[in-house]
Amino acid sequence: MVMNGSLERLFHSYLDGTLSREGLAELNSALETNPEARREFAEWLDLDASLGAIAKGRAAEVEAVAGRVSPAATWKAALALAASVALAAGALWFWQGSTRAFALVKASTGATGLSPDEGLRGETREIAEGTVKLRTRRGAEVVIEAPAVFRFESPQRLRLVKGRLAADVPPPAKGFTVVTPDGDAIDLGTRFGIDVNENGGSEIHVFEGEVVARAPGLGDPRSLRGGEALAMSEGGGDARELRSAAFIQPDELPSLRAALAAGQETRSAAAAESLRSDPALVSLITFEDDADHPGVYRLVQGRWPGSCAAEFVEVGDHLRLTLGEGRDFAQLTLAAWVRLDRLGAPYQSLLHTDGWSEDNPGQVHWMINGDATMRLALRGNTLLPGAAGRHGFPDSLTPVLPEQGRWVHLTVVYDSTVGTVRFHLNGRFDSEVRQQVAHPARLGPAQIGNWDKQDRKLSGRIDELAVIGRALSDAEIQELHEAGTPYR
Amino acid sequence: MSPSEAERHRVFLRQFTANEAAIRSFVRRLVPARADADDIMQEVSVVLWEKFDTFREDGNFRAWAFGVARYEVLAWLRDRGRDRLVLSEKAVELLGSEAAEHEPRLERRREALEHCIAEAAPAQRDLLLRSYEPGARIAALARESGRTEPGFYQWLYRMRKLLLDCIQRTLAKEEWS
Repeated sequence: MVMNGSLERLFHSYLDGTLSREGLAELNSALETNPEARREFAEWLDLDASLGAIAKGRAAEVEAVAGRVSPAATWKAALALAASVALAAGALWFWQGSTRAFALVKASTGATGLSPDEGLRGETREIAEGTVKLRTRRGAEVVIEAPAVFRFESPQRLRLVKGRLAADVPPPAKGFTVVTPDGDAIDLGTRFGIDVNENGGSEIHVFEGEVVARAPGLGDPRSLRGGEALAMSEGGGDARELRSAAFIQPDELPSLRAALAAGQETRSAAAAESLRSDPALVSLITFEDDADHPGVYRLVQGRWPGSCAAEFVEVGDHLRLTLGEGRDFAQLTLAAWVRLDRLGAPYQSLLHTDGWSEDNPGQVHWMINGDATMRLALRGNTLLPGAAGRHGFPDSLTPVLPEQGRWVHLTVVYDSTVGTVRFHLNGRFDSEVRQQVAHPARLGPAQIGNWDKQDRKLSGRIDELAVIGRALSDAEIQELHEAGTPYR
Repeated sequence: MSPSEAERHRVFLRQFTANEAAIRSFVRRLVPARADADDIMQEVSVVLWEKFDTFREDGNFRAWAFGVARYEVLAWLRDRGRDRLVLSEKAVELLGSEAAEHEPRLERRREALEHCIAEAAPAQRDLLLRSYEPGARIAALARESGRTEPGFYQWLYRMRKLLLDCIQRTLAKEEWS
């Protein structure tokens, strides 16, 4: 049997056509008798074929840039085919474009600079707004939400400098790795999300399956299973609450795109405009940059590409504002677009006026209960005997999370003159609860996403919260939802 | 092109593109020079398209393509390989029949190679790829890079070894679990 080193020398000379007749005899005998030699031979020859293909592709690109010939001209095989079947232009493009791309752009919602079917190689890409869906050569689906900076290092390695991504990794792509500034997430066949924060820190959220986190700060690699999350940082790793809704999933994208294509963003803007001209409007909070509210929260993408929403992540996160200028409201409608990460127990705040005092009858607390129903509590109000509602407060019937991780439209209409609280979910009437004592609603200093007395953090994003000093009809609420929905 | 023909064509292109590197590698293994492999590859692509009608849509395109490629290689060896230093019939036979078994590993290696190429020092990468361009003249490249011709082949050997080592390392990293 030939020694390994001299076998490699034989391969090398064979590749370059400098092998002697004796050398060839030696090579043949090794290949005929030794499976290991055949295995290594296949690897050397494969390297040769691959380098040849890469060099050819590169030469074609250089020539194309120089404007001498089109890249197609050097693709002999493509040309041979073109002669026989009259290739469609698009198909020819596909031929060249996908032979070496690490991933293809499958869909884009409002993300400029990336067009469908575009091939991504090793270059750095940036999206300022919108969301883009990519598919790697091995079939992993990756959704990246703006603002984001990323680049593929190979079909199996994606470097995420900034931004959020959700990945759905089928078995052939097992081992798909997301490289972050703080460490690597290595997939073992799964669905997971990565959030690389601008203020440092990278989080791994595993929705299903298993992911291995490897980071300098962690020491030993750590295995994460479905439902677990980890923050990687220089100092080490901290367990996190899973935030599934923080990530736009591959299956959410088609209906987001369809809505955008159908002009929903414009329709939503028009509906917001007409709300602003409603004389009863108390406040319309859209969280766009210009309306800077104090508090601790993140500004992230809202329902539309490039729009803003407030996101509450850490315990104590909140947004402060003052509403209603000391007036009382006989009727009040509250409406908001919300994207919930998880069900926080026992309460998640949508809008809480500060405190909860007997001296402040009618003050408003709007929240989501631990069982995902909605509650509107007014200080001093009581339920009509026999009225639906538990714990003495009006609650909705239907949980507000029919589809976890998506935008939902939540509305409550309060009317003290007739003593009713009416809940709506995604434009649909849910239930009505009767009050015996019904104070006019009182606003004032308040928080969105939390309460000043005790942590009632909302886990998720909130976009466009409307406070209106009259009772909207069922039809108006339905229209509000239809005009504002980012789905179709 | 009629819609059904366009669709058939699209299906073919998708299959061919997905398997092109595997077929090229298969052919390369069985003939001595890259230029010969390129010629045979071109022939194979045409035959595959012409015979695509006989391919069952739910069949294994790669296995079918390997079969066609093997036939083309054997024809080439018979007609043109006589006066060349080619592998023995038995070696060709063994390499051909083991191709399906080798391919999944080779596919991973090709992906790792792209990563390794990207990591290589630009000047070295540039020289290496120029030596791989069709019609590259090694004597001229050797002169240009200040080497003798044997010195250039020696350098090529080291570059290939470097890349093969890098591929090995990259795959070991990926397979970590």
